[in-house]
Amino acid sequence: MEEKSSVAKVLAIVPGLAVMIGTLFLLRTYVEPWMKDAVVFGQKGWLVQVLSLNYILLSIIAGIIYRNVFFGGKIPDWAEAGFRTTRLFIKSGVIMLGCLYTLQKLAKVGSIAILLISTFVFGTVFFVIWYGKRIGMERSMIGVMGASCGVCGVSAAVATAPGVNAKPSEVALAIATILGFGIMTMFISPFIGKALSMSDYQFGAWVGTGILNSGQVLATCLAFNPTFAPGTAVAYGEIWNVVRVISIPFVVFIITTWACKAEAAESCSTGSQMSLGKVFKDRFPIFVIGFFGMTALSSLGWLGAEGSNTLHLMREVMSWIFGIGLVGQGAYIDFRELRRAGGKPLRVGLVAGTLKYVVALIVIMLFVSKDASF
Amino acid sequence: MKILLALDDSARAMDEAVRLASERGAGLTALFVLDTGWSVYIGSDFLLGSTARSKFLEYTRDDEYAQERATVEAFQKRAQAAGLDCIIKTATAGRVPEAILAELAEGGYDTLIMSQPFRRGLEVMRDAATQVLKKAPCDVLFVRREE
Repeated sequence: MEEKSSVAKVLAIVPGLAVMIGTLFLLRTYVEPWMKDAVVFGQKGWLVQVLSLNYILLSIIAGIIYRNVFFGGKIPDWAEAGFRTTRLFIKSGVIMLGCLYTLQKLAKVGSIAILLISTFVFGTVFFVIWYGKRIGMERSMIGVMGASCGVCGVSAAVATAPGVNAKPSEVALAIATILGFGIMTMFISPFIGKALSMSDYQFGAWVGTGILNSGQVLATCLAFNPTFAPGTAVAYGEIWNVVRVISIPFVVFIITTWACKAEAAESCSTGSQMSLGKVFKDRFPIFVIGFFGMTALSSLGWLGAEGSNTLHLMREVMSWIFGIGLVGQGAYIDFRELRRAGGKPLRVGLVAGTLKYVVALIVIMLFVSKDASF
Repeated sequence: MKILLALDDSARAMDEAVRLASERGAGLTALFVLDTGWSVYIGSDFLLGSTARSKFLEYTRDDEYAQERATVEAFQKRAQAAGLDCIIKTATAGRVPEAILAELAEGGYDTLIMSQPFRRGLEVMRDAATQVLKKAPCDVLFVRREE
């Protein structure tokens, strides 16, 4: 195959990226303001206030419409390279989110986040192992579903699959299950949060614990409250997200060790040679260091005080970065693929996902006060 | 008469292709498409580090090659048992239905045989049959998969 030059690679990004940016521009400039003024059921702004159809959810919906209606189920070649930058946008946005905290503030909320996340991540993993065995699912698939339901969907499934020798086709089914469940929760969670009068802190903690996919946690928090500032849902949800991301290597190690224990040595060579250090080195997402780097800069006061022009500009840039990234995220959701999810992975995903989502809601409502630590 | 068999793990589709080619005295080509779409399928996930991502893609590639070897071997056994001379091809470009359609367009085939549902690579998540049927320039014979 002919290798593209660097210039050609950059140019290939332009059409898809232009679609993503143009879409967000239209949504923020025309569609969201119109929705804020529109009177539905006798209430002005019902669409935004009740359905949370702000520019964040609209971005994802637009991406979904592109993929499933206009693109006929596949991102076309001319737009593919541009849409692939969605990862870069969201990763950059997550790093920039680090500026919403100081190390002192992180320490305050971090301990609660670590306690909740550890309980729910490992609780879900053990539940999936128990339930998967009970319904006779293959050990490798139990491993993949345990990781994806326990930690953060696609990333954990992909990080675990090689170690437990899961069939790629089954990993695809697991991913479809997780994404399908996540989309459902992404749209209903803001509605539930508002109906229960949850504070930003409670909502961030709940979706950060209960939603299976990290990208969807961010989107859901922003759908609940699209403001980028300390003390908003996204600021709290992201702390939970980061703790969860850090737990990926530990979960992969535990699941791989468990899955390989009962397998023949030759069919599970990856697992038998695995050490926690190696797993950590291979699976640790480096961008988390960038996130903490931003928090360090914020703690040192190098980004200016609250209300400074620098912080204002950064938050405005973040809102665009996430919006563009989420148009792209939507374009990776193919309903035809999600409909194919089925069998035991679907059963396990639905049961474990629903249980985690509901129990997390109950725990947050009972034990986490409305008042945030910062 | 020229027949193209789109290979997946369906033994019934292989048997049917061999039977039809033997009965009609037709030339039989078997096409195995390696699915290279995994990078796009997991493309939106922002948490994966580059090492974890490339390890998974290597893993899927190795699995694709292993499936190619197993499937081609299974088909060759059947063709040899029937005393049939066949051409075996492997394609790597694009999505699986696109590669099948490209081979149909190039090869001037009269009939395409494939299993339904067609389970090759990421097509377990998609509907290859519909996509191929819409654009196929020849007759298409779908063979129901064994239970």
